[in-house]
Amino acid sequence: MGSGSETSSWKELARAAAVVEDASAASEALRQLLMFSIADTPYAVPVESVREIVRIRPITPIPRVSQCVRGVISLRGEVLQVIDLRVRLDLPRAEVTRATRIIVISVREGSLAGLLVDAVTQVLRVPESALMPQAGSETDAVEALCVRGKQFVSLINLERILDVVSDH
Amino acid sequence: MAQRKSKSGPSKSDREFVSEAEEILEVMRSDIADLGDQRDRGGEIDPDLVNRLFRSAHSLKALAGLFRFDPIQDLAHRLEDILDGLRLGRVATDDLVMGLIDDSTQMFATLLGHIGDSDAMEHLSEAITSLTHRIENATREPEPRDEEFDSLRLDPSLLRALTEYEEHRLRENIRRGRCIALVSATFEIISFEEGLSELSQAIRDTGEVLSTLPTPGETPESQINFSLLVATEFSPEELASRIDFPTASVESVLDPSPAPTTQPPPAATPARAEAPAQAEAPPEPEISVEIAESEEGLHEGDLERAPGGVQIESLKSISETVRVDIRKLDDLMNLVGELVIQRGAMGELISQLSLSASASRLGNEFAKVHKALDRKLRELQSAVLEVRMVPLRQVFEKVSRVVRRLRRDLAKDVRLDIRGADTELDKLIVESLVDPLMHVVRNSLDHAIEASEERIAAGKSVVGCISIEAFQRGNHVVIAVKDDGRGIDLAALRARAEAAGLVSPGEALTEKESLDLIFAPGVSTREEVTETSGRGVGMDVVRSNLTALGGVVEVESIAGRGTTISMTLPITLAIIQSLIVRVGNQRFAVPLNAVMETLMIDVSEIQHSEGRELLNLRGDAIQVRRLEQLFDLPSVAPNQKPYVIVIGMGDQRVGLLVDRLESQQDTVIKPIQGPISAVRGIAGATDLGDQMPVLVLDVSALVEDAVRRREAA
Repeated sequence: MGSGSETSSWKELARAAAVVEDASAASEALRQLLMFSIADTPYAVPVESVREIVRIRPITPIPRVSQCVRGVISLRGEVLQVIDLRVRLDLPRAEVTRATRIIVISVREGSLAGLLVDAVTQVLRVPESALMPQAGSETDAVEALCVRGKQFVSLINLERILDVVSDH
Repeated sequence: MAQRKSKSGPSKSDREFVSEAEEILEVMRSDIADLGDQRDRGGEIDPDLVNRLFRSAHSLKALAGLFRFDPIQDLAHRLEDILDGLRLGRVATDDLVMGLIDDSTQMFATLLGHIGDSDAMEHLSEAITSLTHRIENATREPEPRDEEFDSLRLDPSLLRALTEYEEHRLRENIRRGRCIALVSATFEIISFEEGLSELSQAIRDTGEVLSTLPTPGETPESQINFSLLVATEFSPEELASRIDFPTASVESVLDPSPAPTTQPPPAATPARAEAPAQAEAPPEPEISVEIAESEEGLHEGDLERAPGGVQIESLKSISETVRVDIRKLDDLMNLVGELVIQRGAMGELISQLSLSASASRLGNEFAKVHKALDRKLRELQSAVLEVRMVPLRQVFEKVSRVVRRLRRDLAKDVRLDIRGADTELDKLIVESLVDPLMHVVRNSLDHAIEASEERIAAGKSVVGCISIEAFQRGNHVVIAVKDDGRGIDLAALRARAEAAGLVSPGEALTEKESLDLIFAPGVSTREEVTETSGRGVGMDVVRSNLTALGGVVEVESIAGRGTTISMTLPITLAIIQSLIVRVGNQRFAVPLNAVMETLMIDVSEIQHSEGRELLNLRGDAIQVRRLEQLFDLPSVAPNQKPYVIVIGMGDQRVGLLVDRLESQQDTVIKPIQGPISAVRGIAGATDLGDQMPVLVLDVSALVEDAVRRREAA
């Protein structure tokens, strides 16, 4: 995984590593999810919201904001906030490694934000039926669980993640 | 791939539609404003104007149909109906009709703003339906009247051939007591268009061509006969001699009648002095109208002639400008910004290069080229900034429209004076100005200007005056809204502030501080919430809107005489010079236009008073704030010789304490995107070329916070 270039487009990732999870789901609508890991736990976000994936780069802290917002980065002329998902999910902070990535997502009204994750793994294609909606989870951030073999991949509810941050 | 239904906004084709529709709507609004003026002046309504409005509504309808926007198409159709009614004289230009037209264009604007948002469109459909019904009620057709044409010595078949519009024009001219004549001429079939056009033109100079009809009759096969129904002030003989068309014959169809029945004497003088006025009839402005044979475009002549001196400027400005998607301008701006950053980085390298002895000759050459590049880049920068500048006129026009409507609703007699509409500002700033400006003007109209009786009792003129003036002052533009109303009631304002807990009773306030209370949230000096301006949430939002644009708003008021609200804005936000400073291990950018001076001090010069740190600056005590405190930065090593950057806004000054001054750079302030909407004290961020964003300080917020007595601990 991981091209040598500065930013790897999620499209390339999708092409390189897309896995069709359920062959029998020809008639059912397929969701594409970008899978990543935080504290060795798999999570995912819908691929439609992902603009690109970039390597970790200098983050300028913003004063007086919630701990969830690590700071801002500069991406080809645009400045966007980076949310530390570990903090948001109430997990302990960790050191940055070579695998650490920032997933650039597009939020409401076209503006961007970054999600700081430990590593980006692959793109999943799963039928809608493989998703089990969750209501009222601990941190309210997970909107569904995706069954993948023996694993559960937590599908992040982007709206809620971003909403709570702004209330801090 | 399963696509979730996105409410993410308009598609590309949606945007195209909106862009085109907005252009049509702009022209319509300008015309409607003119229509309103003509009506107010009591003169005649220019039929060209109504025609143009009708065609605009028609275009809008067609456009909406093309893009399948049913509610818009439907509404456009209704508007078309009402305008058609106006055009044909079936409907009068009374308050009801003008109100319906205004409401319809307002609804269009709202609809256009919500394209792509299916929920909003659904909510609006009820409002559209009710508007539609109101229009239908207003445009019910009256019974046709046939008898009026009986007195015409015209072949009935000719009369039947007239369209409804032509009938209307005929009726109008009869009502005005004009002479109706039939001008007939025969032309060769191969060349009749030229001849006919020449004849029509000749007639138009002396009267109005009501209808052009080919007439059957005894003509050789190679020829064709036309009859033009003409209305004119002149007698048929004079008409014949004026048009000077030997092969045409002129017959009288209806003799001119004495003084027309209605029509109040208008103020405008007739366009042509030699037009013989009817003996008893009052002088009227000449209307030379061309009946558009085709539906598209205006004819050349229309631009010049206008009754009552109404200028039809809109067509002219369209042909001299190019419509550009603002996003393209943003891209252009970004590109220039990137170039600016690269130039800065290059400058750094070059100075290092010229220091190195071996490369010094090359370094010098490099430096020369860099200087030239720098010059050109600055020119490019200015040019692109120029492109983004638009005059404030559009905003002011919007405001006058609203004032016109409000004037009616509030039954207040107010004059709106606008000066400096040509003053230019960055387009994005101008767009963001509409709301705050509108609010301020609404406030004046609603709260400040008194009712007529009150004004007379106070010895003021009955007609209130609100003036909006815009002018450039150095790097800024000032927009001042001034009214001659009752002024701000300081006592009531203070009482409200105390009730809201913002001021403690007995606390001493300077007059400026008292006036500034209107910008505090939750304060209002009126008992009731009025529909037009609502609660006092307005002024604090106006202030924050202005601050977000890098500007300030100030208020002056004299009880009983009036109030002036001044909004000061930077001309452009795009590329500005900044001072890069360092606090601890973090850098910040301070916009240079707000920096008054910088000085290095010794830490011992800082004095303390009432828990604040002060500095003696040439006899003035200015407050000093440490950036690491303001922003909760991790504690820094104590610095014996820090720098103080004196920043100012208006007449307030504050000193910011920093560790080092690093450099002065051109910076492009980028908005910080993300879920957190705003951080107090931060205006945005900039990239200095090393990919690490530097936060840009919001000087006015920092000054405000420092100066305000109540501060968060």
